[in-house]
Amino acid sequence: MHKRAFSAVALVGVSALALAACGSGSGTGTASSAASSAATSAAAAAPTTTGAPVRDAAVDLVIWCDQDRKPIIDKYAKLFGDAQNIKVAVQVSTDVRKDFKDATNAGKGPDVIVGAHDWLGELVQNQAVKPINLSADMQAKFPAEAMAATKFNGQIYGVPYAVENIGIVRNTALAPEAPKTFEEMVTLGSQLVKDGKATNAVLLTVSKTGDAYHSYPFLKAFGGGVFAQKPNGDYDPAQVIVGSAGSIQGGDQLAALGKAGILSTNVDGGIVDQVFDAGKAPYAMTGPWAIDKAKKAGIKYGISPLPTIAGKQMTPFLGVQMFYVSAKAKNDAFAQEFVTKYVTQKDLQIDMYNIGKRPPALTEAYTQVSATDPDIKAWFEAGKGALPMPNIPAMNSVWGPLGQATADIIAQKATAADRLKAAQTEIEANIKKAG
Amino acid sequence: MTSRSPWLVLKWVAIAVALALVLWGAGKFAAAGNLPMVILLGFLGLAILAIYATRRAVPMKYLFPGLVFLLALQVWPIVFTLMTSLTNYGDGHMETKEASVKYLVAQSVKEVPDAPRYTMSVGVAQGGDVTTSPLVLLLTDKAGKTYVGSTDGVKDLTDGVTKNDAGKITAATGYQVLTGREVNARSKDLSALAVPFEGGGIKPSGLSEAFVGKASLQYDAAADRIIDTATGKRYGPQHAQWVAEDGSGSLATGWVENVGLRNYTDALTNETLRNGFVKILIWNLIFPLISVLSTFLLGMAFALLFNDDRVRGKGLWRSLLILPYALPGFVTALVWRQMFNQDQQFGLINKTLHLNIDWLGDPTWAKVAILITNLWLGFPYMFLICTGALQAIPSDVKEAAKIDGASGMRTIRSIIMPLVLVAVGPLLVASYAFNFNNFALIYLLTSGGPFEGNQTQVGSTDLLITYAFRLAIGGVTPNYGFAAAISMFIFVIIAIISLQGFRQTARLEDVN
Repeated sequence: MHKRAFSAVALVGVSALALAACGSGSGTGTASSAASSAATSAAAAAPTTTGAPVRDAAVDLVIWCDQDRKPIIDKYAKLFGDAQNIKVAVQVSTDVRKDFKDATNAGKGPDVIVGAHDWLGELVQNQAVKPINLSADMQAKFPAEAMAATKFNGQIYGVPYAVENIGIVRNTALAPEAPKTFEEMVTLGSQLVKDGKATNAVLLTVSKTGDAYHSYPFLKAFGGGVFAQKPNGDYDPAQVIVGSAGSIQGGDQLAALGKAGILSTNVDGGIVDQVFDAGKAPYAMTGPWAIDKAKKAGIKYGISPLPTIAGKQMTPFLGVQMFYVSAKAKNDAFAQEFVTKYVTQKDLQIDMYNIGKRPPALTEAYTQVSATDPDIKAWFEAGKGALPMPNIPAMNSVWGPLGQATADIIAQKATAADRLKAAQTEIEANIKKAG
Repeated sequence: MTSRSPWLVLKWVAIAVALALVLWGAGKFAAAGNLPMVILLGFLGLAILAIYATRRAVPMKYLFPGLVFLLALQVWPIVFTLMTSLTNYGDGHMETKEASVKYLVAQSVKEVPDAPRYTMSVGVAQGGDVTTSPLVLLLTDKAGKTYVGSTDGVKDLTDGVTKNDAGKITAATGYQVLTGREVNARSKDLSALAVPFEGGGIKPSGLSEAFVGKASLQYDAAADRIIDTATGKRYGPQHAQWVAEDGSGSLATGWVENVGLRNYTDALTNETLRNGFVKILIWNLIFPLISVLSTFLLGMAFALLFNDDRVRGKGLWRSLLILPYALPGFVTALVWRQMFNQDQQFGLINKTLHLNIDWLGDPTWAKVAILITNLWLGFPYMFLICTGALQAIPSDVKEAAKIDGASGMRTIRSIIMPLVLVAVGPLLVASYAFNFNNFALIYLLTSGGPFEGNQTQVGSTDLLITYAFRLAIGGVTPNYGFAAAISMFIFVIIAIISLQGFRQTARLEDVN
């Protein structure tokens, strides 16, 4: 068997390496299949089709979105289809970002996708999305921050429909007043813990590997952050400020809170929800996604903006959800028409709010919704002055190192200054390697 | 001869089906313009005919399907990985240089400030073919004045113009207005169309609007430079990217190119990689070894226990023991992660044992936590195969041992274990190879962490595969070429280990 397999393969004339594989594997095949799957599993992160929808070839416009938003998009897709006398398909993808990138690369992608604004740089890098043209009048109907998030190199790549950011969600039974300062939260929270009414003073997602998104407001409060901005407002990948003096001051606050046992790497996202929904913590620094669960758990809650820390105002990252048009759209004209004419409608934005409970991006829709829903007004207030999460590809190199740095600082493994400077070096090296 | 004819028919039907499949596949590849695959499939078809349609090559009739699958599922992935490892394929480097130029220039079209905007219809000259003849834009400006725009420029249009409420032209003498579907079918022509206009070109946006746009980037083919007309910056090709000549950064979209052995030299000269490699390799060798031994010993112990006739309710016990194996591994891993939480409030293990061990935050304890979880996940499999092997041992062998006066332990050591090992030996090697690359467990439980020494490159529980993933895909801008190069290193290591392992198990067969 060994010899025959060898000579047969040799006849076909495959490389010596392949021979080694077959030699080692021809016993049962198990080992070499394990080996080759090892060899491919990392590389095969490229085009796999598991879970990705298959583009419906018989329709005139294909939109990919997640499960939750499908019913609403279906509704407007039908309106658009009827108006244009065409068939529109809305398909669900469990990982739109990855599926879209892979499918578009293989020429099988949809015409329109629904996603977050921070995918943008990566999608532009891979020639997957194209700019759309919105008139100045239309742009003025959205807040400047939301429009800024849809831009890359000064071009608009989509129409936003919702914004999201973190704030302070408090259990009003334990903490009736919206906190003005972080110190106030710590004092009240610690007292409640001492009295046995709570187990955690303040809940913040940290986890063993850290969470840069949730830790960022601490750095930002003192003028730190991730990237410095260019004069036109774009983030500059050449100017990483993770190790800047401002960031380090924020890091020092994290260190002190970690030392005092307020923040802990034992608390991850799941635990934040679990403890808050059990009524065992007065404050959670979290976002709109936590509200639904708290409501179901019967918690009476209030939402307020992030407080000051050491006298400095904390601000979160702003996230924007938007519709993109594929650069390789087979139905480019319909795709552009739908995104520029339908997504900008008030009704669509309000319907999307009903699903996701995020503030609508369209000012007109927000005004109407916030009049009746105090939560939405509170989330919007909490996001005021927030900068959009960087959408440049270099951000991919930041999440891991910055997250781990904040976790290590909270766990007292290193001082804020040393750890953030080390993270800065690592991030710069990763960016350099990537580009 | 007559008695064989039904089989003969069946044989030819099977050959015809196989050839039809090959033809269908070749058609698909031909449509995609993949010539090498068409040729390869042609050879495959010929081979099928030559082997099965003739009476020659009898051994080959048996070997051929196996060989085809060996090539397709084993050899090809390795060759493909090797090929990928010689390129810079990854985010920002996915298509050709020409495609990057085309994309960058097309994407740089910006609206000219203060230029007019138009309500737009798309049409063709009356009598022209809607699918092929040159497109014209039928435009209405804010004041309601109408124009026709073609590649020749913009002209006034007044003859026989009718508009709808939105100001969109629905008919005009000499032109046929296209329906939405007809316009959409020509999306490519439409996006290529620019009606010359002062300061730029009138470009359509969707089906009903047009704006004056201008590309800010231009490609100078002779100099091979992309020039930003707004700022005067020049971008030259460098490392498969357009890099500004004044050093002020690069454009986001690059292209894929062959980089020779650069990914390999990068991997070998990368300082963190070099420093971390030995440390990770040692843990990577120890982890599967302890996992295989511990799961095998526990599984074997249970198998022996429940193979004894004195145990009652064997079926029930056996089913219970297989439960951990029946649950999805990733769910189990996540549950264990929660149980390993240091805080007694959340972590079941520390709570039950009144400990304060930082299971997932301490380098040593994290390793222990992983081994415990993998023991839980892995022993039912070993229990299953050992039970099977035990039941295959003929009872007369055991009786003979008894008659010879061997004690229980002696029987296990000298009779049962050697016989079981013959059966499960190769599976132990396979299990080692599997655990060598047990990406999911590590990723779900610790993500390779905890990370010591102010860095996030080398984790204390990293295996080579999780390490490679983070290095090339997870924590940075994905670079599949580099990942493929690391995979080739892993492949070589596993190939050597497996080869060695199978040689060892071959020796066990001497017992028979």
